[in-house]
Amino acid sequence: MPLSRPALLLLGLLAPATFAAGATAYDFYLCANLNRNYTIGAKVAAHNGVYQQADGGWRHVGYNDGTLTAVAFDPRDRNVVYTSALNGLWRSLDGGRLWRNCNDWDMTEARDVALDPNAPDHVYLALPDGIAVSTDRGQTLVRREHGLPLRGKYTQVLHVDRTRAGRVFAGCETGIYLTEDGAQRWRRVLATRDTVYDLQQSPHDPRLWLAATHGAGLQRSVDNGLTWTQVATAPATHPLYNVTFDVTRPERLALGSWSLGVLTSEDGGQTWISRTAGLPAPQHVWRVGVDPSGRLYASVATQTLFVSADFGRTWQPDTIAAAQVNKFVLVPRRTP
Amino acid sequence: MRRPFFSTFLFIVAALSADAQPSFEAPAPSATPVLDASLRRAAYLRRVDEVLDWAAGGGNARTDDPARLDLAMIAARIVRGQDLPGCSQRVIDLMREPGTGPFWMFPSVCIAYLGRDRLSPEALASIRTAWRTTRQMRGDTENHFVMYYLSLYLMAELYPDEPAESWYTGKSSAENLAEARAFILHWIDVTTTLGQAEFNPTHYIGEYVIPLQFLANWSRDPAMRQRGRMMLDWLFAELAANTLRGVLRGPNSRTDEGSVIERWNAMASYFSWLLFGHTPPTAGYSGWGLYFAPLAKNYEVPEVIYRIATDRRSDILQRDRARVRRFWRYSDELSPAVHKTNYLRKDYAVGSTRGGRIDPLQSHVWDVTWAEADPRGKHNTLFSLHPHSASEIIQASFVFYPEPMIKGVTFEGKPSYDSPDKVMGSSPYEQVFQDLDTVIALYDIPAGTRFPHINGFFSKDLTDVTEHASGWIFARGGNAFLAYRPLAAYHWIKYLHYTSGWAKTRLDLGGRLLTSPHLRNGTIVQAATADEFPDFAAFQAAITALPLTFALDPTPTVAMTTLRGRALRFTYGQTPVVDGRAVDYGRWKLFEGPHLNAEIGGRRLTLTHGKLERVLDLNTLTITDRVNEVAAGP
Repeated sequence: MPLSRPALLLLGLLAPATFAAGATAYDFYLCANLNRNYTIGAKVAAHNGVYQQADGGWRHVGYNDGTLTAVAFDPRDRNVVYTSALNGLWRSLDGGRLWRNCNDWDMTEARDVALDPNAPDHVYLALPDGIAVSTDRGQTLVRREHGLPLRGKYTQVLHVDRTRAGRVFAGCETGIYLTEDGAQRWRRVLATRDTVYDLQQSPHDPRLWLAATHGAGLQRSVDNGLTWTQVATAPATHPLYNVTFDVTRPERLALGSWSLGVLTSEDGGQTWISRTAGLPAPQHVWRVGVDPSGRLYASVATQTLFVSADFGRTWQPDTIAAAQVNKFVLVPRRTP
Repeated sequence: MRRPFFSTFLFIVAALSADAQPSFEAPAPSATPVLDASLRRAAYLRRVDEVLDWAAGGGNARTDDPARLDLAMIAARIVRGQDLPGCSQRVIDLMREPGTGPFWMFPSVCIAYLGRDRLSPEALASIRTAWRTTRQMRGDTENHFVMYYLSLYLMAELYPDEPAESWYTGKSSAENLAEARAFILHWIDVTTTLGQAEFNPTHYIGEYVIPLQFLANWSRDPAMRQRGRMMLDWLFAELAANTLRGVLRGPNSRTDEGSVIERWNAMASYFSWLLFGHTPPTAGYSGWGLYFAPLAKNYEVPEVIYRIATDRRSDILQRDRARVRRFWRYSDELSPAVHKTNYLRKDYAVGSTRGGRIDPLQSHVWDVTWAEADPRGKHNTLFSLHPHSASEIIQASFVFYPEPMIKGVTFEGKPSYDSPDKVMGSSPYEQVFQDLDTVIALYDIPAGTRFPHINGFFSKDLTDVTEHASGWIFARGGNAFLAYRPLAAYHWIKYLHYTSGWAKTRLDLGGRLLTSPHLRNGTIVQAATADEFPDFAAFQAAITALPLTFALDPTPTVAMTTLRGRALRFTYGQTPVVDGRAVDYGRWKLFEGPHLNAEIGGRRLTLTHGKLERVLDLNTLTITDRVNEVAAGP
């Protein structure tokens, strides 16, 4: 059932939840924990998990699970859904009615899940002790870590290159690792001294990638992830939790940071402006996202989700209250 | 004399709940071992009945209203056959809002099994439905996994041959059983070859032994039942060997704010009371402890374990290995080895690990703890620590983002984590060496570290505290003489007490912290029984006469001769040396001492007391009891 949506109605933000740019249209999802201070074993008081932007509000999808970190969909069949979570990898084949915990006891606390759009049976799972891969839609999972270091392979984020099957980037404790053969072999393309928290491929130019890091600021690659350079204009004084593109405007970027709040760039990263004003103090931000129509979202710690129609100049509370959003996900709609 | 707050509190509790918890309110029990097996068994059964009576009577709620019963109370009522229709209805009501993880799973398993032929079909079905509809979180600690998989295993056995869609996991009964079994075997294997990650926990012992007891009783697989029985013995033997009059002392992989100071106030004491009867039980039988009672009569406390727990006529030196909980990052090792030393005597005990990073939040590295005839409300411990607080340390074991970590954990049962005057936790900048009843703790804290000082805990229950001109601080704790040597200048601050990890406020119950704001620092502690000296002055004279040299720059280092005549040399970052020989930690066994012995990788624990011997061999799943003609000890 959709959440109430008076705030969005007031804002007149009833634009369609999809954006068509060329042949690509998107749906917008988020993974959220709506239970503040949840501890293991407690009753779950709110509907946590995956929400889809719909009808000007949010529609809960699937299971009530406050530990979801990411969601991925099979591009051939949107009813095939994968979520990464405390228990590992969950998969549904029927649009979220029934779920299977795909992994065994030896995989836990999954940080991210990614699907190869060019080989959709292939699912990649980020784990605190490495990376697991399924080649049969999650039915079985095996570790594929050749090339990762024995220690330092804590993996926070995975992102599959949408242009080529089997080409996957992993953000780890010790840098960014790349496989070009479906995780048979990994090699490090960027060394960092601490965790890489986010990796994003530009929806406008697949050669352009951005990475948000703990201590190495914002990293950029313009050669499809082979080489990376630090974006000098972006702050590196505090950890950056995530980075996002705007599918409607290639020059617009946003960063989310606990200590720095929200930063945006509207010139492709040449300059950055704090857009934290208007968010409730102390303005700690879990994550930022941009929906298919260009609205900027900020998940603010211990607060509701906030949304901006003018890319951070002004903010309004969204309808999802007390949410810690772990991931915003844009899902391309299947081209007929 | 001012009545200690705890005593006042205890009195009020007792007055409000007369007849509620007889042993909790009664004088402390005798510590004299009961040698007659039938008397010992009878006393054990009486204690079990006391718990069942209390729980069936409504526990803390003290009510007959079924609508206010929790699952523990229902379990006791099922055992008693009391108001089964009311229990059935209450189960149905409770299953409308199931919990979401192992702390809900094992209680629901308890009811599902106990109620098999007692509760209504509708009640049993409501439990089964909850296991289909509500996703259960597996958690992120070893005790979470143990509870989770032992519960899942037993439910999959209870409902075999059911399809994937009938379980929240989306896996069939057979798949759930196989996954759970694999973890259980893994945990037993790693515990019996390399040691526990959550070693000597003051509270979490319940999270292990309760579901293990379920396994030992309810599994359909005789081999799994046997494993359950053997692991109960294994864990209870560890408890027995590490307690002083039933009170578990440090070191602890995990403890909490209250029990690190009031050593008795922990679930471990509930089990000491229940099994051995020589210390009072905790309030409410520690809550979770109630779930052990319904099946407790099926457990026979092995005599050898009972004797180990209750006999302190001879000194015990136990050197054991354990593991650090998993470090996902910021560490060269996933689960480094822990080396524990425990020296127990009649009047006091000294225990330690080697310091460094252990559990990021709740570990307790070393202490000297003295025996109290009645430990309730007593802060019978002495130690120092570096109050380390850093998100990187927490992040090593948890998969969270950096900045919210520290504040976050203060809301989750670790309220003092980021307090400069905290008294719990390990530090990467603390290194400890123990030889018998001497501890040397050295600190080399990098400049810029949050909380650049060390804290020494001085209890309200110490007497004759004397800051001697020699630099030693002397004190008496119970019948123990204690000598504490700070290696750098210090000042005193008030100690404020959290009664538990979930306490919202701190209480001024007395006691002080010795705070020493120097980055390179150290503490030496020596202990002795008062019986060893004519008087306290003689002890002080003996300590001050011992050779001692130390330096803090450029690296903290101590060279000394102990009361026991041993020459120790310990430098921060170097292997300690005893009588000219470096300590070879690489040769340490899983257990080595007069009572517990096991080889690394052996899966075999030998328990010994006097002529009694019990061998737990997980390789063959056999328990072998012997009475040796030539006794090894008392």
